[in-house]
Amino acid sequence: MPTLDDLFLKVQKPSRYTGGELNSVMKDRAAVDVRFAFCFPDLYEVGMSHLGMKILYGLFNSQPDIWCERVFAPDTDMESLMREHRIPLWALESRDPLTVFDFVGFTLQYEMSYTAVLNMLDLAHIPLRSADRDERFPIVVAGGPCACNPEPIADFVDIFFLGEGEEVDLEVLRLYRDMKKDGTYTKAAFLRRAAQIEGVYVPALYEVSYNADGTVAAVTPKDNAPAVVRKRIIRDLDTCYYPESFVVPFTDIVFDRAQSEIFRGCIRGCRFCQAGFIYRPVREKSPEVINKQAHDLCASTGYEEFSLSSLSTSDYTKLEELLPMLLEWSEKEHTNISLPSLRVDGFSEELAQKLNVLRRAGLTFAPEAGTQRLRDAINKNVTEEEIFRTVTKAYNAGWTAVKLYFMMGLPTETLEDVAGIASLGQKLVNLFYQNPDRPKGKGVTISISCACFVPKPFTPFQWEPQDTAEQLAEKQAHLRESVTTKKISLSMHDNTTSYLEAVLARGDRRLCAVLEEVWKRGSKLDAWSEHFDHDRWIGAFRDLGIDPAFYANRRRSYDEVLPWDHLDYGVSKEFLIRESEKARAATTTPNCRQQCQHCGAACWKEGVCVERR
Amino acid sequence: MSVANGFYTVRLVFSKTGRAKYISHLDLYRAMTRVLRRAAIPLWYTEGFNKHPYITFAAPLSLGHESVCERMDFRLTDETVSMREIVDRINACLPEGLKAISAAEAVTKASDLGYAKYRLRLSCSPAVLRAFLDQPSILVEKKTKKKGGVKTVEIKPHLKDVSVEDADGQAVLTITLPYSNDMTVNPTLLLTALSAFAGAEVTGEACRLELFDRHGAVFA
Ligand code: SF4
Repeated sequence: MPTLDDLFLKVQKPSRYTGGELNSVMKDRAAVDVRFAFCFPDLYEVGMSHLGMKILYGLFNSQPDIWCERVFAPDTDMESLMREHRIPLWALESRDPLTVFDFVGFTLQYEMSYTAVLNMLDLAHIPLRSADRDERFPIVVAGGPCACNPEPIADFVDIFFLGEGEEVDLEVLRLYRDMKKDGTYTKAAFLRRAAQIEGVYVPALYEVSYNADGTVAAVTPKDNAPAVVRKRIIRDLDTCYYPESFVVPFTDIVFDRAQSEIFRGCIRGCRFCQAGFIYRPVREKSPEVINKQAHDLCASTGYEEFSLSSLSTSDYTKLEELLPMLLEWSEKEHTNISLPSLRVDGFSEELAQKLNVLRRAGLTFAPEAGTQRLRDAINKNVTEEEIFRTVTKAYNAGWTAVKLYFMMGLPTETLEDVAGIASLGQKLVNLFYQNPDRPKGKGVTISISCACFVPKPFTPFQWEPQDTAEQLAEKQAHLRESVTTKKISLSMHDNTTSYLEAVLARGDRRLCAVLEEVWKRGSKLDAWSEHFDHDRWIGAFRDLGIDPAFYANRRRSYDEVLPWDHLDYGVSKEFLIRESEKARAATTTPNCRQQCQHCGAACWKEGVCVERR
Repeated sequence: MSVANGFYTVRLVFSKTGRAKYISHLDLYRAMTRVLRRAAIPLWYTEGFNKHPYITFAAPLSLGHESVCERMDFRLTDETVSMREIVDRINACLPEGLKAISAAEAVTKASDLGYAKYRLRLSCSPAVLRAFLDQPSILVEKKTKKKGGVKTVEIKPHLKDVSVEDADGQAVLTITLPYSNDMTVNPTLLLTALSAFAGAEVTGEACRLELFDRHGAVFA
């Protein structure tokens, strides 16, 4: 049988599989109690860019009795060699197969990675279904945003962690260690006790029953599991663990830089955005802490760039305090600061100059909808005036390209709203040619990118149907006709992936069978368009007699039991219903700092909920 | 030591073995940039819009080959850090498989490289290897600079300081090959010719032992 070393030279970019990167953590197998294989169900380049994984990798390894290692989905060339020679999936640090680990943990960032989870379990020679794994196999756990409705993969996972993992993960690992030590460990006993920890959801301890019309009748806990599982949050980000070093990859990855988290949550409450609800409430880190963490990280990694990480940089209340601190050392040390999702408005002239704010922010806007009415309906608080103001500044400064991001298929959207996308683009073209100070001798390009809306759990749109393929095709055609100038370039996303996302995002446990079937038929890296096969999915649904439209295109009533109703992310159903009704009336909602909406997240008495307004 | 133009050039000798042999040349450049930054070496940066440190490698190593004699040049802004300290600081920051051996001010230009010495642990027997080497002529196909072009080259006269050992029936070849702007024979080329001669694929683990200049002196 060939060794791993024999395989490395036969594949593209072998350093994705070898481990040994700068700052990767090696420990003595015999000196640790718990071994944790942290799996990202996508390729190395994608997974290694993910901040959440870096935080938990550092946190686990800061514990002397835990060794956490990294695992990524192999690319197809490596996978076929592994299957040909029956070499099981290994963890990068020790190169041990996953079967020797105590825990195999997945982070679920997007629905289209679910088949990669199954494929990785299979490549690791671990049975897919929780019920088929006895004490000989690792406990399979999962967390991340998709855990807020984990039902479509509930049969494959032993434990889901809801919310922020920093505390709850360690509590579960310690329970495991203690039960192993005192001899009371069996998988069943462990899962029963873990389910008593707040933030832990053990799907096998819940029975789901269905109504004749296919909707969920009830989710019934057993073995004393709590009827409702509430997510966990970190109360104080300043004292919460943050890694002093990142693993620095050899090969180029998507985000190859240091990252400092500046706050969690988002005050805005855009109604389509799941992150704006499931990460509530907003909690900020203090500028001193951010500054120190950023500087330490750059020193330990040697990165030449770092970025501030959050859902919306401009909403950080102490940005004007933080940026000068960062600039003081970063300029000296030739380190670039990148400020994603920055609003150009609202900077002092001096700081804007110093930072070259325009260059950093780029000319990218996400109005999401083409008319003010629809922007009000989705509570996206961007006005044309704001865009015009910034774009004018940019034209004056010599810019000739603007990017606009939109969504199509938003609730209450009409063809008029769709045409509004084109006319907003047209207005920016006109703005350019009416500007006497525009760059001379150059044309302008407005790039419009249009994604398809996917209704998500725990948002005010969780009851909404997704537009059908026909409706979306009609809208796309209408947009194409509405664009009458070559100065506007239009790119519209294919809607077949969005359709499956809509199915999986709001699916129930009956979809586990579909996932397994579509994986058997060859799906494994669905997040990559070159590997995604829509027909394969549709074929699996058809052969199993499950109608995907039931999940994607059906309007739910407010009193329907939703598959995730037994999970509690702080935001109350009453609040989401209020927001849903306001969307229909195209009424906006002030953000958390302007006026608290009593969404429910104040139950933690933290962050923005207890700030002075 | 001279700090002309605001910088002077240091040449680091380092080894690249074990897990590090899978680091490609481009990736090594990126990794070393970060190592030098981590080590807080007073790096000299290029001027201009896209400022970056000046770092070059004398002789790129094939992916999968090991080496105990890699050379990396970089520029420093001041000479207050001793060579000993540079080596120590870099070693404190290197990932597994990379190790700094020595540092000195760069003397020889990279264009004066002449030869490289290798040790190859081969999958064939010493007898096969000897027969291969004893041929009066060894012809190989080499890619030319033109896209898709190949030419046939006689390499026999270029094989220097050849020694063959027997390690439990496997041949271990130590050999010096040309490595210059005019002519380069890398071990992979030799393996291809050997495989053709043996009529079966011969694989080998390669380790580069030393680099020499045109006159045969150690590349310094
Ligand atoms: S309780 Fe109020 S302040 Fe807190 S997250 Fe909800 S709306 Fe915002």
